[in-house]
Amino acid sequence: MCLVSERRRTPGNQASLREANRTRILDAVKLHGALTQVELAGATGLSPATVSNIVKELSTSGVLHTAPSTRSGRRAQRVTLAHGLGLVAGVDVSHRHMRVSLADFAATIVADHRVPLARDHRADNELDKATMLIVDMVESLDSSLDELAGIGVVVAAPVDERTGRVARRGIMRGWQDVDIAATMRERLGRPVVVENSANAAALAELRYGAARGKRDVLVLEIGDGVGAGIIADGRLVRGHRGVAGEFGHVPLVPDGPPCRCGRIGCLEAVAGARAVLDGLDGVTGTLTLTDLIVGAMAGNAEYLRAIADAGRTIGRATGALCTLLDPERIVVGGDFARAGELLLGPMRHALESTVLVEADGTPDLVQSQLDGSAAVLGAVGLAVDEAGIPRSTPSA
Amino acid sequence: MTSTQGLAERPVRPSEPVMSLRGITKRFGAVQALSGVDFDINAGEVVALVGDNGAGKSTFVKILSGVYTPDEGTITYDGERVTIPSPAAAQELGISSVFQDLALADNLDVVANLFLGREIGRFALDEEEMERRSWELLGQLSARIPSVRIPIASLSGGQRQTVAIARSLIGDPKVVILDEPTAALGVAQTAEVLNLVERLRERGLGVVLISHNLADVQAVADRVAVLRLGRNNGTFRMKDVTYEQIIAAITGATDNAVTRRASSRGAKEQSDGK
Repeated sequence: MCLVSERRRTPGNQASLREANRTRILDAVKLHGALTQVELAGATGLSPATVSNIVKELSTSGVLHTAPSTRSGRRAQRVTLAHGLGLVAGVDVSHRHMRVSLADFAATIVADHRVPLARDHRADNELDKATMLIVDMVESLDSSLDELAGIGVVVAAPVDERTGRVARRGIMRGWQDVDIAATMRERLGRPVVVENSANAAALAELRYGAARGKRDVLVLEIGDGVGAGIIADGRLVRGHRGVAGEFGHVPLVPDGPPCRCGRIGCLEAVAGARAVLDGLDGVTGTLTLTDLIVGAMAGNAEYLRAIADAGRTIGRATGALCTLLDPERIVVGGDFARAGELLLGPMRHALESTVLVEADGTPDLVQSQLDGSAAVLGAVGLAVDEAGIPRSTPSA
Repeated sequence: MTSTQGLAERPVRPSEPVMSLRGITKRFGAVQALSGVDFDINAGEVVALVGDNGAGKSTFVKILSGVYTPDEGTITYDGERVTIPSPAAAQELGISSVFQDLALADNLDVVANLFLGREIGRFALDEEEMERRSWELLGQLSARIPSVRIPIASLSGGQRQTVAIARSLIGDPKVVILDEPTAALGVAQTAEVLNLVERLRERGLGVVLISHNLADVQAVADRVAVLRLGRNNGTFRMKDVTYEQIIAAITGATDNAVTRRASSRGAKEQSDGK
């Protein structure tokens, strides 16, 4: 894999070599959760002495945590990521995947799991799974549930803030009428907060990502569905019922294709990733988004055109949103955004021709920098808010 | 992770099925285990094979992997008629299987298991090369194996499954058969294995997944083929089938005169409409 060979390329000088080695060790610990130093040497390809030095350095500076343990009957140093103040969990439930992450209060992810889900998954099963994963992951970090300060659950459906339930029937069928927060609280006995995933992604972009320091931002999450998180004057706009930003269900094409929300011609039924894939591959139904993006990058004209068409459609609709909200920046995330400029370029063109400002005043359209983790980081951030940073520590 | 990066050299998806079985029949004395089973495997697709106990899943998988030879029926692999007289022949063709018991050597380390019987090195073993390749392979599968130099006995169930699946990829197969890969695994390990199945599909392999766990099947499969009493009882695309419909096909709740008439009428209407 080219990823590996790129990492192995020898960097220019001693300092950057050391930096690269540090990154390599941190990546390995993040991936495995907990490793002994000997295993770290194997996993990173570094010499045991280098590993030992870097681990010592990183644990002195509070990044890693070491504890004595045994491996094959010998004494060993077990290395985990430090999580000084405590842990929070983020759960991101999308249409076909669930991601469960544990993070510290600084929203540094220390353990991470991704689970493929069935189409039309059901709340009880998946919340069970999430619960078991969280317990498992907390244990793998040599921690206990008492240290878990809060849990943020974000779902790819609008959430009514007052009831904590999915606000619109039909969008995630297996989840309607389920009090998600109460269910999770019952299982884990920790504070739980529930939010729409596009809103969570918007919060994450605002705090940790491409929207830092901006006050008026539009965050689009483009995947199978299309969601928007609206930040106006530095605050998240949820709307009266929590349905604000359900961008994918803006009716766009009269007599268009049916949408899972029960109406026809919605944006996501025309330009969402699922719609694009179905349009290309109606027969076998096995084309995946990765296939599409990889194919397009390799120059498949049909795929390129399909992505560009979707980009133009979303761009035009975004233009209308911009006229309403006048954002300073638009951040595009979600699985489909992995197509990068193949999608964003046409979006930008369509946006420029529809938005009502001076030519040089068009909001800049950028790709998310959070690499697909925006929603789960948002969940983590919400969990931190819900838990409240402990006041006793001087740093808080 | 830039998950799209490592896949660039992936072969283009062919439209023909990579493996196609027609009219497979197998008898054990008086027991008719399989009668006239049809089955297709496409590249870059996960096909789940489900059925009740005794439906013929294991027999069918053993035919796919060359343990049994069918009494009747044809097997087309890569566009050519083939016979699979032995497991070695299946390996040779590019059909690789991971059975439920995994067949790993508990006392050997990960590298030794991966290359068991296919060691690199002419006279002495080239341990360095094998270790390098092991990491490369496990890296491609984003596997969470802490070390390749620990004996299999000290790995978790999910990690053993990962090693077994990685080993099945050594000969560069086109079809991988996974028999109950998530049985007896915890939730985190199940997630690992399911992610692994997705990665196999992204590599352009045809994956046959035999599982009793319908939640897992629904999570990763593109198609599901149902066997009942040794016969095909429907092949569904995952996108347009519900849990209840699959259960009905497995248990035979669909298999009566009324539903058969309804389904044949439905199929006719569908073919007229298209």
